[in-house]
Amino acid sequence: MREDGRSVADVPDAELVAQGRSGVESALSELVKRHHGSAYRLALSLVQREDVAQDVVQDAFLKAFRALGGFRGDASFRTWLLKITANEARGALRKRARARETALEDAGAVRADAKDPAEETMVSQESARARRLLETLPDKQRLSVSLRIDEGLSFREVGEIIGSSEGAARVNYFHGIRRLRELMDEGIDE
Amino acid sequence: MSDRTCGALREQVPDLAAGRLAAEEASSLSRHVALCEACREELALARLLLDGRAEAPAGLERRVLEAVRRDRPGVGRPWWALSAAAVAALALGIGIVSEPAGEVEVPGYAYEVEEGTFWSSEDGLIAGAPTFEDLSDEALAQLLAELTAGGPGGAV
Repeated sequence: MREDGRSVADVPDAELVAQGRSGVESALSELVKRHHGSAYRLALSLVQREDVAQDVVQDAFLKAFRALGGFRGDASFRTWLLKITANEARGALRKRARARETALEDAGAVRADAKDPAEETMVSQESARARRLLETLPDKQRLSVSLRIDEGLSFREVGEIIGSSEGAARVNYFHGIRRLRELMDEGIDE
Repeated sequence: MSDRTCGALREQVPDLAAGRLAAEEASSLSRHVALCEACREELALARLLLDGRAEAPAGLERRVLEAVRRDRPGVGRPWWALSAAAVAALALGIGIVSEPAGEVEVPGYAYEVEEGTFWSSEDGLIAGAPTFEDLSDEALAQLLAELTAGGPGGAV
C-alpha cells in the first residue's frame, strides 16, 4: 500500500512511467510485472523460440526504460513497449536468419512446450491446434489476430506495432480469422 | 441485424471472449452473438485461442528486473542513502558559500570520487557542491551517521 492509500496495482501506467523516470524501482517493477507477458507473447510469435524471445523481452525493457525520458505518452506505455519489442524481435531475427526455420524444422521449444503432457491436460487439444494453425498465417495476419485477441489492443494500436495503418490492421485481422476458421474446418493440422 | 451493425459488433468479439467488456456491453453483444452464427463461430475461435495462449516463463519477470537493476545503478539504492546524499550536498554547499570565520573541515570520504569529477556546477544541488551520485553508499551512510551525531558534516 502506498502513502496515498492506493495499491501499486491501482496506479495507472502513465503515473508509473513518471515515477520510473525518477528511478523509483517499485514503479519500474510494476511496469515489468504488468507487461512482460504481452511482450513475451509478441516476441515468441515473431522469433518462434522461447530462449530468444526471453532475450528480446529483456532487451526491450532495458531500451524502453533507458528511453523513458523521451517517452511522450502519445501512445500507451504498453503499445510503445510492444513496438520496441517487435523491433527487437526483428533485429534478433536478422541476426539469426535461420532461427525460425530451425525452430520449425526441429519442432523446437515452442511446440515442444505446447505438447508437454502436463500442459495438454490443461489446454484442450483444439486450443493447441488453433494456436499451431495461427502460427502458419502470414506475419501481419498472425500478429493482428494475436495482438487483438490475446492482448486486447485496438486496431490503431495493432497498426502501430505491425507498421500498418489502422485499416490495414483491421483487414489483416479479419483475413487472419477467416483463414484460421477455414483451416480449422478443413481439419488441417499445421 | 444488418451486416454493417454486425461488423461493428464483431470487432468486440475478442473482448467478450476475454472478459474485457463492461457488463452492459457484454450483455448486449451476447444477445447479438446468440442470433449471429458468424459471430458465434468467431467467439468460439477467440476462446480457443485464449485458452491456448502462451504464458511467460516463471523466471522471466525476475530476470528482467535484475537486468534493469544492473542497467540502472541508481535504481535500488535505499531511500535513506539518497536522503543522506541530499543532506550531505546541501550541508557541504552551505558550508562553502557561507564562508564561516573558522576553517571548515570537509570529511575525507566526501572526496571518494574520481579526480576531475568532483566539482560540478551542473549536477550538484548547489553550484560547487560535490555530486552525491558519485559518493559510494558507504560514504553516504557514514556521512548520515555523522550528521545525525553532530559530526564534522553536521557542524554547519
